[in-house]
Amino acid sequence: MTRERMVDARLHLLSRQVLDADGEPVRAVDDLELVGPGGQPARAGAEVRVGAILVGPVLFVRLFGGAVPVSRQPRIAWEDVGHVGTAIELTVPSDRLDADWVEHWLRDHVVGRVPGGRHDPEADG
Amino acid sequence: MKKVLGVALGVLTAIGGFVDIGDLVTNAVVGSRFGLSLVWVVALGVVGICLFASMAGRVAAVSGRATFEIIRERLGPKAAGANLVASFAINLLTLTAEIGGIALALHLVSSVEPRLWIPVAALAVWLVLWRVKFQVMENVAGLMGLLLVGFGVALFLLGPDWGELMRQAVPPSPPSTEHAAAYWYYAVALFGAAMTPYEVFFFSSGAVEERWTAKDLTMNRANVLIGFPLGGLLSVAIAACAAVVLLPAGIEVSSLSQIVLPVAQAGGVLLLALVIVGIVAATFGAALETALSSGYSLAQYLGWSWGKFRRPARAARFHVTMVVAILLGVGILMTSVDPIAVTEMSVVFSAVALPLTYVPILVVANDPQYMGRHVNGRVVNALGTVYLVIVVVAAVAAIPLMIATGAGS
Amino acid sequence: MNVGDLLDAQVLGPDGTTLGVVVDVRFALEVVDEPDDDARERDREDPETPLSAHLGRDAVGGARLVGLLVSPHSGGSFLGYERTELRSPWPIAQLVRRRHRGTFLAGWSDVAEVRTDGSPVIVRLVAGFERGSPAL
Repeated sequence: MTRERMVDARLHLLSRQVLDADGEPVRAVDDLELVGPGGQPARAGAEVRVGAILVGPVLFVRLFGGAVPVSRQPRIAWEDVGHVGTAIELTVPSDRLDADWVEHWLRDHVVGRVPGGRHDPEADG
Repeated sequence: MKKVLGVALGVLTAIGGFVDIGDLVTNAVVGSRFGLSLVWVVALGVVGICLFASMAGRVAAVSGRATFEIIRERLGPKAAGANLVASFAINLLTLTAEIGGIALALHLVSSVEPRLWIPVAALAVWLVLWRVKFQVMENVAGLMGLLLVGFGVALFLLGPDWGELMRQAVPPSPPSTEHAAAYWYYAVALFGAAMTPYEVFFFSSGAVEERWTAKDLTMNRANVLIGFPLGGLLSVAIAACAAVVLLPAGIEVSSLSQIVLPVAQAGGVLLLALVIVGIVAATFGAALETALSSGYSLAQYLGWSWGKFRRPARAARFHVTMVVAILLGVGILMTSVDPIAVTEMSVVFSAVALPLTYVPILVVANDPQYMGRHVNGRVVNALGTVYLVIVVVAAVAAIPLMIATGAGS
Repeated sequence: MNVGDLLDAQVLGPDGTTLGVVVDVRFALEVVDEPDDDARERDREDPETPLSAHLGRDAVGGARLVGLLVSPHSGGSFLGYERTELRSPWPIAQLVRRRHRGTFLAGWSDVAEVRTDGSPVIVRLVAGFERGSPAL
């Protein structure tokens, strides 16, 4: 059965933690991109939906003003969102998201290379 | 039986983990200047941290969201960002003070210069964060911190005039030589030392790290409600030792050796050695907690993956943040700033920043969308509201008092 | 256009009078299947399961823009008090409610124009717009 639930962006969506399909944190929701029907730009008064979760540089725009070039804006498509609760859960693993490249870079080039960096702390004392 | 042992262990680590360099220094300074006339603030702070920590722990356990995620979600990126900058700075200051405290304590037993101990202490802190399991880390530091009971032993060995100590405490009667503004300045500092925000970041993130169940929640409430007040008694013992030995001698505390002077006088070398081990453990444990808290707060604000339960490579930015925080702390100490002075500053600014952390937790603890039927009850809310007023008053008063008294001098 | 552009935007009536600022943006979230609240609460009682393992979470589809919440007083965070049944702790609840008295929901179809080129962003409503209830 499909129904609708009213949610307010600030109250329920913005700044919520985004988790990937495995429950791993990805980012917090920094902004939401609005689109019109068929991916057209959103227009006042016409039908508008959330197209994507925006993360990263857009946070600085919201804090300090300015603009981010659309092409350099990390985004997570709204179609990848599975659940909305105290966190926003995706249906895809984070490895497939380009939104998380700093984490991956640090993992592969710095932290993962230090001895013990891939040691599972829960496995033993 | 296993359950009893579990609770006992939890309570003991809560006691040993309660006192950090902030409590140690502030209580000794206050005891040496005001006797026991500020004991009521310790009681106020202990009840406050019990309330605040158990609320933050409950929110984290039930909602799965730790404190700084809640702060950002409720305050929005701007106000939470300002809070992050303030909290991170205070946290860094506290971490600096704790690492400095470890070095000072090791200096007391080794006669090796503190400056040489600082990198050793920092490296040890990082190694534990990198490698040791969360629960092991918490338990070992907490249990060894229990050696601070030596302050209590020293107090009894000193055989003070208990009636006189009581007269200082109830009704609170500060020495006539002290100015009222200085009295209230140290009241705020003591309150800040007992209710440091990092303890709440640590406690709530720990609830997520350990994936608390309903059973854990009950057990941890017991740990907090029994352990923290007993830890508060340790704070009072530190102040009382100073009140008995340092106040009559007119010694104003400005170094760690003065803080432990009453212990040495009462119990000799053996007790002194035990207490110093306790100080090393307590400051080391608090250094771990503050380093973790710097990682927790930044990672939770930005939504990075965090936690000691993950392999370091699966929480890369979190581990990098902690390393940077530790290095910054070492850098600050290497400018030969006085760790005791850093400590005094950190507790006052803790009081200033407290409402920014306290209010979002209080609000979310009432939100059924987060908490289901685990929302605050009437008693907790009534107490929470009283503390809301206290926390705001202390925060507003802190800076004017600091200026008026020249930081208490 | 982003939600961040709309938040804190200045809202003007059809005649150019200032009505307030956008304090929040409301969406209708398609919920695919309803979570069973009772089962969730029962699971939380199970002493062996982490409390957070059964969070309230809706399986969702699209999110349609419904309207803008406009407050005549100030921008900034609401903490959600005037839109929900939440009443405690009362000092905070009272304060927030008072500060945001007169808040209304302007339907998105009543929005004539959004000008994002300047600062602050300007939202102009159509003639005969309706003031909806802000309650969720």
